Amino acid sequence: MATWDELSEALEDYTASCNTNDRLRKMQRDWTRTLHFICSDTDVAFTMVVEAGEITGTPAGHHGVPDIVVTTDSETFCDMFWGDLNPVAKYLRGEIAVRGSQEDVMRLDAISYVIWPDS
Amino acid sequence: MSQPGTGEVHLRRSVGTATATATSAGLAFAAIDYLGVVSIMAYAPGASGWLAIGIGAGLVFLVAGVFSELNGLYPTAAGIRLYLGRALGTRIALTATFTYMTTVVLVIAADAFLIGAAVRYVLHEPAALAYVWIVVLLAVATAANLRGVVLAGWVQTVVTYVVLSSTAIVSVIAIFHVGGSFRTPLHLFGAKPLSGIQAIAFALFLFAAFEWVTTTAEEARGPKVITRALFLAPLLIWACSTLFLLGLSHLVPFASLHHSAYPQLLLGKAALGTVGELWMLAITVLTALNTFNGGFLVASRFIYAAAREGNLPSTMARLNLNAVPWVAVLVLAGSSAILAALIFATGQWLLLVAVGATLEAGIYALASASLVILRRKEQRDRPFRLARGRGLAIAGTVIFSVFALATGLADPANSSRFSPEPLLVIVVLASLSALYVNVGLPRVQARAAGRRAAAAAARPSRRPARPTTVESDPTVEPMEP
Repeated sequence: MATWDELSEALEDYTASCNTNDRLRKMQRDWTRTLHFICSDTDVAFTMVVEAGEITGTPAGHHGVPDIVVTTDSETFCDMFWGDLNPVAKYLRGEIAVRGSQEDVMRLDAISYVIWPDS
Repeated sequence: MSQPGTGEVHLRRSVGTATATATSAGLAFAAIDYLGVVSIMAYAPGASGWLAIGIGAGLVFLVAGVFSELNGLYPTAAGIRLYLGRALGTRIALTATFTYMTTVVLVIAADAFLIGAAVRYVLHEPAALAYVWIVVLLAVATAANLRGVVLAGWVQTVVTYVVLSSTAIVSVIAIFHVGGSFRTPLHLFGAKPLSGIQAIAFALFLFAAFEWVTTTAEEARGPKVITRALFLAPLLIWACSTLFLLGLSHLVPFASLHHSAYPQLLLGKAALGTVGELWMLAITVLTALNTFNGGFLVASRFIYAAAREGNLPSTMARLNLNAVPWVAVLVLAGSSAILAALIFATGQWLLLVAVGATLEAGIYALASASLVILRRKEQRDRPFRLARGRGLAIAGTVIFSVFALATGLADPANSSRFSPEPLLVIVVLASLSALYVNVGLPRVQARAAGRRAAAAAARPSRRPARPTTVESDPTVEPMEP
């Protein structure tokens, strides 16, 4: 079970990796979304705000109306944001639950794929 | 840092019943459905095909019930993979899903061919120009997909309802047109009982792919939205197809329909002259919007996900700068163009209908079998539970297997004889899938594992090591029981 501090650290690294990746920024240039995350094991919730492909914030709690809601356990979130697991494999096994359009789900996975192609 | 809490959330953009129903009906109702109706007429004498469509719709309600319960258990875009996998095992699920996905190529190729043929016919161009139209259509669809153009939900909804209502209106005009007649409207099993069964089996094809709406479960406003769509869309297709069949049987001689790739144009012309013909041509072209948009999107994203999961070569997951899996899109477009060329060269478009009908009946049988198994394995609550589900699902497995054989051994070009060709095509497709899953896939997975191991060696886990004893974080609320 990962703590909120561990998650925050992972999110910070993930944000830096995304925002400094030129190819990803170009690919996601038209992607402005609010993402809500829910840790199923700890009940922790947080938000990720993406504006034109740039992650502008990952505040604790849920803010705004979401385009995507992602639910899984806190460990999986941590590994996902550190690039230590393949999110789509977990998703296809039903271990990550997503609410949102298929296109947004693919975009979310594409972020991990572009930053860590061998994850 | 403060401890965040959770609350109930609603999506900014979510799909309601009207859109989900239009998506389901739009995925099912392609230009090839017009040929599907003609295939029914080949086996159902006179106007009796309406009975076949009615019985087919009744059976599709059973399919709707099966998919509703399965979707309630696994409300995800990866649903069919998940429930086939949980019920029948990963290898069978992958083989079935890869074979099933070929129907997408089949429908895209068929629509490209049919629209090309229809445009050429109306413009009185030489037959050879049809393939030019096919290539142009596929090129435009591919370019739009590669640029990341996705039809907005409301456009898809409008297109679907325009296509269905226009087909219905022209058909009603044809039904009330003077000079026609309805022959043997109740004679479905009169000529040969087996022909009646084959007519019903072909009727199932009219609804093919309506269940793909389950892939939008994650964006639905609520769990009941998909269930409602699964039951409402077949009603729309039933009404529209029945009217179309009655219009055709009333006004257009079967002899002129049977070897035509554009029966809808013949109906339009018979009912309203040139205006009707042009109207139906416009409707035919409109169907392409849904087919190409939905088909390319569903199949390319499926290929991307399978490649990311390690079940297809990683090349298939490559993204362009529009976040589109470009290799997957090009493979789909190329396969469709080759298949369309084969149809064009051989004139075997009715074989395509038979192959599609067999595949669809086969997947319905597999889904029903999955429900039987998952009823035993999964005891948890679901938003929809099919009444007398076990018995109905067993019946569905048997009935749809019989229908798969009925169309798999049919020859819609000559309904008085049997032909193993549709079944052979599917056996070849399924064998190729099975060969890949059992022989090719282990190699693909070994290569991917090697790459991951090399990457892990070059880049060990980035996550900081956790101290051996971790104190519990007082800010974290205990998990809900």
